[in-house]
Amino acid sequence: MKLLPIEYATRNLGRSPSRLILTVFGSSLVVLLIMIAAGFMVGMDATLNVSGSDKNIMLLGAGSLESVERSEVKMESSGIVSSSIKGYKTKAGVEGVSPEVHIQIPIDIQGEDRLVLIRGVEPEAFLVHERVEIEYGSLPRAGHNELLVGSLATRTLGYGKPKDALGKTILLDDDSYAITGVMVACGGIIEGEIWAPLSDLLVTTQRDTLSCIVVAIDEESGGTRSQLDGFAASRVDLELAAISEREYYAALAEFYKPIQLMVVMTCLMIAIGGLLGGFNSTYAAFASRVREVGTLQTLGYTRSAITFSLIQESILTASTGAIIASTIALVAIDGYTIRFSMGTFTLLITTEIVTLGIASGLALGVIGAIAPVIRCLRLPIPQSLRASE
Amino acid sequence: MTLIKCKQITKHYYRGSEQITPLKGLDLEIQRGSFVALMGPSGSGKTTLLNLLAGIDTVSEGELIIDNEQIHNFSKNKLASWRADHIGYIFQLYNLVPVLTAYENVEIPLLLHSINRNERHERVSDALENVGIADRYNHYPRQLSGGQEQRVAIARAIVSNPTILLADEPTGDLDRETGTAIMDLLKSLQEKQGQTIVMVTHDPQTTKWADTVLHLEKGQLIEQEVRS
Repeated sequence: MKLLPIEYATRNLGRSPSRLILTVFGSSLVVLLIMIAAGFMVGMDATLNVSGSDKNIMLLGAGSLESVERSEVKMESSGIVSSSIKGYKTKAGVEGVSPEVHIQIPIDIQGEDRLVLIRGVEPEAFLVHERVEIEYGSLPRAGHNELLVGSLATRTLGYGKPKDALGKTILLDDDSYAITGVMVACGGIIEGEIWAPLSDLLVTTQRDTLSCIVVAIDEESGGTRSQLDGFAASRVDLELAAISEREYYAALAEFYKPIQLMVVMTCLMIAIGGLLGGFNSTYAAFASRVREVGTLQTLGYTRSAITFSLIQESILTASTGAIIASTIALVAIDGYTIRFSMGTFTLLITTEIVTLGIASGLALGVIGAIAPVIRCLRLPIPQSLRASE
Repeated sequence: MTLIKCKQITKHYYRGSEQITPLKGLDLEIQRGSFVALMGPSGSGKTTLLNLLAGIDTVSEGELIIDNEQIHNFSKNKLASWRADHIGYIFQLYNLVPVLTAYENVEIPLLLHSINRNERHERVSDALENVGIADRYNHYPRQLSGGQEQRVAIARAIVSNPTILLADEPTGDLDRETGTAIMDLLKSLQEKQGQTIVMVTHDPQTTKWADTVLHLEKGQLIEQEVRS
């Protein structure tokens, strides 16, 4: 099959600049939305997936297994758990039993109240949540109203760079707290949280219960999940239930699936609008060239050769849109912070998502060309030659 | 020597449920190297005949033999390849590709042949020279006058040395003076290169360049006028 020169396809793009802009805009919108939807899912899954450990067991208030924020655990439970069971991870004589309070508090940020998850912790928390590292600054001291802020939470607080948050103060329920450190946690959900000394947070929130006790079991020392299940079942007075951290976050991920689906559906619906707009302009671009296509056939070009050229043209337009969308996604969308009830995650534009975007652009080019090409080539040549330009 | 032989050619097509028969059992022979004008009122079948000779339409009944090939039996792809090798077509409205320059428009049929770039360049330049438009080789159609566009279209039609040059009212969209120049050009192609030309025309004035005038009416040949 002898093909039309590539110049035919490229120069046809410039025939109607406004139509070209419309088509490129349509394809870039579609591709961008696909990438945002994928980035949303990947970002949220990545955050939730790295947030849990099988070796960490959460003891929550019975009946509150699905939400640590609604959970209430008696203060004395922490000491009872620590003394009743052996086999915890220990370091320098400190046992991996972390009593915690998880609470969402509205923080005034540039005149807007933003809900941020505050976790009240004891020093044992750093033994239990071993991925947490101080990136900048130092640990908050109990009794001094100091805070450790996750690197993503610094964005929620309105700081361009995490380091900028150091030394700043924020109000938690009218109590002023100073930020002394910034923490990271391998991209986990903790990076969207703010940690405060447990005692300070209890005073500020006037709370007298914990949200949960997170324990790190050490299998080599005989620690097992079933011990904790048994403990929770036998100490009915404490009203506890045990769940592994991984199971908790997996359930949370499952809980957010409908939201992910809704985001995908919304993006898809807008994308379909863009797609139809793109189809329409491609259709118009090809439909106005029916006579020209008839001429090329008269000269001896086969329908396959003309189809190939028109698809080339459509792919060029759609892939230009895909490249623009990928650039926007990498520059403006990648790392964009999304806050949700459990904290914060970032939209992740991975290599796979860029590949998906480019592939979508190419597919769009091919699919978008099919109907207009059929319209262009369905007429017998003599009728095509009579078509108006 | 006979180049084109039509044997009892009939062409039907449908407009809705109504069957239209623009050609009815047409018998015709056209000699190699002749300049034939097809005349007749609207609906007489002259354009249909031209389309059949060009291989862009197929006969419903009968045989169409061109240069000893039974083109009525050809498949669509075979016809496309046959058109590339044997047919040069000149349209009333020139039908140049607007995004290509005059040079590229003329080159486009040659891309269907296995010809290297140098030879292509030589043939395109010769064709443009032949039709007197070589100085406009890098102009786009929108930058040319009607007469110049038609010259480029003629160059495109002759560049692959076709067996037959078909012209559908080639002067229909031109003023009288330009039309005359175009007809002179076609005549010189016939006389100097022995090109066979079949031209559809409504204008009796343009038939004076032809050596045979075929009058069609209601799909049948009613008169064949051979001029010396």
